[in-house]
Amino acid sequence: MILFSTWRSIPRSMRIVIARIGILIPQMFGVMFATFLLIRLLPGDPALLMLGNMATPEAIAALRERLNLNGTIWSQFGGYVRALLHGDLGTSMFTSNPVTVDLLQRVPATLELITYSMIFTVILGVGMAVTSVVRKGGWVDRGSRIYGMAAGAIPDFWVGLLLIYTLFHLAGVAPAPFGRVDSFITPPPAVTGFYTVDSVLAGDWAAFRSSVSHLWLPVLTLTIVNAGGLMKMTQSVFADIYKSEFIRHARASGLSERTLVLSALRNSLPPIITMIGFLFGFLLGAAVLVETIFAWGGLGQYAVQAVMNSDYPALQGFVLVAAAFILVVYTAVDVLYGLADPRIEI
Amino acid sequence: MKLTSSCRGGRLSATLIFGLSLLVLQIVLIVFAPLIAPHSPVDADPMNILKPPSWHYWFGTDVSGMDILSRVIYATRINLLISVTAVVIAFVVGVPIGLLIGFYKNLLSTLVMRIFDFIQSFPVFVLGMALVSVMGQEIWNVAIVLAVLFIPMFARLIRAEVLSLRDRPFISAARCSGATNLTIMFRHILPNAMTPAIVQVSISIGMAILLTAGLSFVGAGVRMPTPEWGLMVANGAQQMILGVWWAALFPGLAIIISVLTFAILGDAVKRLAEPTSRGEQ
Repeated sequence: MILFSTWRSIPRSMRIVIARIGILIPQMFGVMFATFLLIRLLPGDPALLMLGNMATPEAIAALRERLNLNGTIWSQFGGYVRALLHGDLGTSMFTSNPVTVDLLQRVPATLELITYSMIFTVILGVGMAVTSVVRKGGWVDRGSRIYGMAAGAIPDFWVGLLLIYTLFHLAGVAPAPFGRVDSFITPPPAVTGFYTVDSVLAGDWAAFRSSVSHLWLPVLTLTIVNAGGLMKMTQSVFADIYKSEFIRHARASGLSERTLVLSALRNSLPPIITMIGFLFGFLLGAAVLVETIFAWGGLGQYAVQAVMNSDYPALQGFVLVAAAFILVVYTAVDVLYGLADPRIEI
Repeated sequence: MKLTSSCRGGRLSATLIFGLSLLVLQIVLIVFAPLIAPHSPVDADPMNILKPPSWHYWFGTDVSGMDILSRVIYATRINLLISVTAVVIAFVVGVPIGLLIGFYKNLLSTLVMRIFDFIQSFPVFVLGMALVSVMGQEIWNVAIVLAVLFIPMFARLIRAEVLSLRDRPFISAARCSGATNLTIMFRHILPNAMTPAIVQVSISIGMAILLTAGLSFVGAGVRMPTPEWGLMVANGAQQMILGVWWAALFPGLAIIISVLTFAILGDAVKRLAEPTSRGEQ
C-alpha cells in the first residue's frame, strides 16, 4: 500500500518512463540471447566454417576458444554477456578490427541517413494524408490513392537505381553515388558524426554543400518508399477524427479551419507515433539496401559485407546493435504514446 | 457472396478481374516459361553482353550476355515459388498456433505471445538477412526464414478473432450439447475466425516477394545464375550509373507488377469479406 502511494506520488511522466525502462531490460537480455543463438544456427562447427577446410586442428581449437564455443550453452551465454557488458562484440573476420570499433565508426553515417529520411517521410506522409482528407477529391487526394497503392509495391533498391540513372546519369543534377561527400572534400571534424551538422559547426560550406548533395538522393529514395505506408495509416486515423463530433462542434462554434486541422491532428497523434516507431525498423532494413547502392559506408553496408564474406561476428554485432536500437526506439515511442494520450493508466 | 450495392459491386469486380488477370498471366508464365521465353535463362553469350533492347533481345542482355526477357520470365517461377511456399507454411503453422493460444489461456500461451512480440521487435529485413546467411543461401532456406518471420502475423490475427469468439453464446451452446474442445475449436471457432488471416495471405505474398528480392539483392538470397528478380536488379546495379538502364529496369518492373497483383487481390478479398465479417461494429 505504501509502495503504491509512493508510486502514485511520482509525476505521471516519470512513472511512464520508469515502467517502460523496467520492461526494456528483460527485452535487451532477450535480444542478447537471440543474437547469441544466431551463430549456433550455423550448420556445423562455426570455427571450421569460418576458417575453411584447410584449417589445422590447433587453429580451430584456438578460434573455438576465442569465439567462446566451449562449455555448456549457459556458460557460453554468460561469457557472451560478460564480453558484451565490456563492449566486446568480438573481432571481425574480414576487417580484423574489433566489431565494436567498426560499428561505432559507421553508426553516424546510417543515423544521418535515417534521421533525414524520417523527417521527410513524416512531412510527406502526414502532409499528404491531411491534405487529402481536408480537400477530398482534390488532386492530392486522387494522387495519394495511386501513390498509396504503388509505394507498397516498389522495391526501395530499384527506386534508388532509377533515381541514380535519371538524376545522375541523364540529368546530371546529383553527384555520383559513391559515399557521403565528394572524394576531394575532407570530411568535417567529427562532433556529432552528421556531416551536415559538423560542416556547419566547422563553418566549412564546401563540405556542407557536398554532403547535402550526396544525401538527397538516398534520402529521397527512402522517403518515396516509406511515406506511402505512413500516409495510408494517417489518412484513415485522421479522416475518422476529422469527421467526429468534437470537430463538428468546434466547426459549428466558428473556429478556423487551421485550428480544426491542428486539433484533429493532435488527437490522431498516438497511432501515428506508433507507426513512426515501426518506420524506424523499416528504415533500418531499407538502409541496408540503399546504403549498398550509394556506397554509403554505414552499418547497412557493413552488414552486407559481413554477409558476403561470411563474417559472422560482424553480422552478429550488427543484428545486436540494430535490434537494441529498435528496442530503444519502441521504448521512446511507448513513452511518447503515454504522454500523448492522457487516458493511459500507468 | 452477394453484393448489395451494384455500383460497389461493379467497381469491385473490375479490380478483381484486373487482379485475377494479372495472376493468370503470371501462372501462364510459370507453367509455360520454356515455351514463352525466347532464349535460355542461364546461357551466357560473351559475344552479346549489355546489348540494349532490340528485336532479337526484347529486354536487352545483361553483363554476362544472358537474355533479360527470358530471365524475367523464368524468375517468376523462383520468386513466386519462394513467396507462396513461405506464406503457405506460415499460414499452416500460424493458424493452429493462433487458435490454440487464443483458446487456452495459460502460461504457455502467454509465453508464445511474448516470443512472437520478440520476433516482431526485430527489423524484418535485418533478421531475415542474418538468418538466411547463417542457415545457407538456398531457395528453401529463404522460404523457411520468411515463413518464420510471418508466422507471428497469422497467429496474432487468428488469436484476436478467437478471443472475441470464445465467449459467444453459440460456443456455450456447442459446449452444452457435449462438443469437445477440439470440435469447438475446429468446427465452431476456426471457420468464423479465418477471414482476416485469408485476407492477409495475399498481402503477405506481396511482402514475401519484396523481401525475397531484397535479400537476393544484398547477396543473402539465391545465387547466380538462378534467374531471380532481386538478383537481376543487383546484377544490373553497377551498370546503372553508366547508363545501362535495361538490366535493372525490367526485373524491377516485374517485382512491382507481381506485388501489385497480390495487393489488388488482397484488397478485393478484403472488400468481399467485409459485409459478412463479424466482431467489427
